Amino acid sequence: MPLVRALAAWHARSASDTRGRLAVELSRRGFIKLSGAGLAVSSLSALGFGFAGAALAASVRSFKLEATTETRNTCTYCSVACGILIYSIGDRAKNARSNIIHIEGDPDHPVNRGTLCPKGAALLDIVHAPTRLQMPKYRAPGSNELKPVSWDFALGRIAALMKQDRDANFVARNAAGTRVNRWTSTGMLAASASSSETAYVTWKIARAFGMLVFDNQARV
Amino acid sequence: MRQGEVASKGAWAGNPQGGVKAPAPLLLPDPATRFARTAARLESLAHLHPMADWLRFMARLAQAQHAAAIMPPPTETPDQARVDQAVTARMPPLAADDHARTKAWRNGLATLLDRLAQNPMPATASSVIAQLRARDENAVEALADNFLHGGLGVADAGAAMYVAAALQVYFTRLAASLHAPGLRLLPQRGLCPCCGSTPVAGVITASGPAPGTRYLYCSLCGTAWNHVRAVCITCGGSRSVSLEGIEGDTGAARAETCNECHTYAKMLYQAKDMQVDPFADDLATLALDVLVGEAGWSRHAANPLVLVGT
Repeated sequence: MPLVRALAAWHARSASDTRGRLAVELSRRGFIKLSGAGLAVSSLSALGFGFAGAALAASVRSFKLEATTETRNTCTYCSVACGILIYSIGDRAKNARSNIIHIEGDPDHPVNRGTLCPKGAALLDIVHAPTRLQMPKYRAPGSNELKPVSWDFALGRIAALMKQDRDANFVARNAAGTRVNRWTSTGMLAASASSSETAYVTWKIARAFGMLVFDNQARV
Repeated sequence: MRQGEVASKGAWAGNPQGGVKAPAPLLLPDPATRFARTAARLESLAHLHPMADWLRFMARLAQAQHAAAIMPPPTETPDQARVDQAVTARMPPLAADDHARTKAWRNGLATLLDRLAQNPMPATASSVIAQLRARDENAVEALADNFLHGGLGVADAGAAMYVAAALQVYFTRLAASLHAPGLRLLPQRGLCPCCGSTPVAGVITASGPAPGTRYLYCSLCGTAWNHVRAVCITCGGSRSVSLEGIEGDTGAARAETCNECHTYAKMLYQAKDMQVDPFADDLATLALDVLVGEAGWSRHAANPLVLVGT
């Protein structure tokens, strides 16, 4: 058979081969389910090791499965944006509580190839730190205490203060009378692990305010 | 620490990448170590194992495979023009079900059976050897074709295991004669770039030039190829991939399950056990297969030495 035809035939077969097979046929390709009963019709029993299959089926009774999940993410620290793999226990079932148990560099990520700096390598401790900030907190002027507040309060307060500052310090025209629309008294520092799309939108919002003091992933 | 001195004027001799390398796309097998390693690992795994007798038998089979793998004469190198043509077409150059076998594989089978027959084994296993030796060339070739192409009957389950073992030796020697830089991974990343077969298991490395990367090991020719981690090797999905392990064991063997295609593939973690061998550890962790199978997932493909009726 000429090679090209042979290869085309191979392609067609490899597509169909990965599907299920007829009953009572042995196949090296296609999905299979191993079970104590299944091993009764197998290479094992055909060579006189059926008792080993039975011993296996008996030993399995005392075992239990435990699920771990590997999730890809990006390190939160700096704009290098190293890839990380996060391991969590729990199989995402409704009533099972998940917990992050391990974080390592993603060996498939072209930026860091599995490596992490000491800060990145300590990410697990950040996740579980008892001092980690988990809700907005507010220290009123004159007070020395940070009090937990709602997101509505925090965002409303930030918006009001930004508007107040922008109204007071916005520079529409420079000394020569040219229109410049600058707001230099407030700055913005955006997340390191942004995608191109997030960086684009962040940039548009900051610049629409006239904000000049601004740093985000789009700079890198 | 000394500080404030004049900076060195010598040329900097460091590595600008800090020694971090991209993983090699594929690692060709070495017939001199491939089966010997599996045999040694099976012997050590058999200790106190519920399937100890069978694992010791499989260790002796791997030793017999080793004898066949290092037996002269050297393998004929495949035609380079055909290899290049297949690689350009993104096809496996030694496609298991299209490759025209030379009779070298039957010499390997004879060596393998001679070596294996010297060991004690169940009467059934030795009678299957006797029956296989009694078959004529055409019947043995037909059995090999059925194994590679599909269509193997249950009656041949025993003989097919010896044939599969001999074909592993033949394809391993053939793959070893290829030139790795001239090969490419297939668009179907779950299949072997040399012979197009399914892998037996994956190994997540913990040492070498690219620690932490995953290599899938071909069930037929023993070639290892790189595959992105945390992605289902059957359907390429990553949304619902999970690792199932047996509670309280070393964690060296885990089943990577996918809830999109409802299959799983076994992954071995070198970080948990530096001695893992994909061919040996797959056989010694059938308990994991049974548990995961009972939980509803199907194995991505059979181990050629443990074919099961479907």
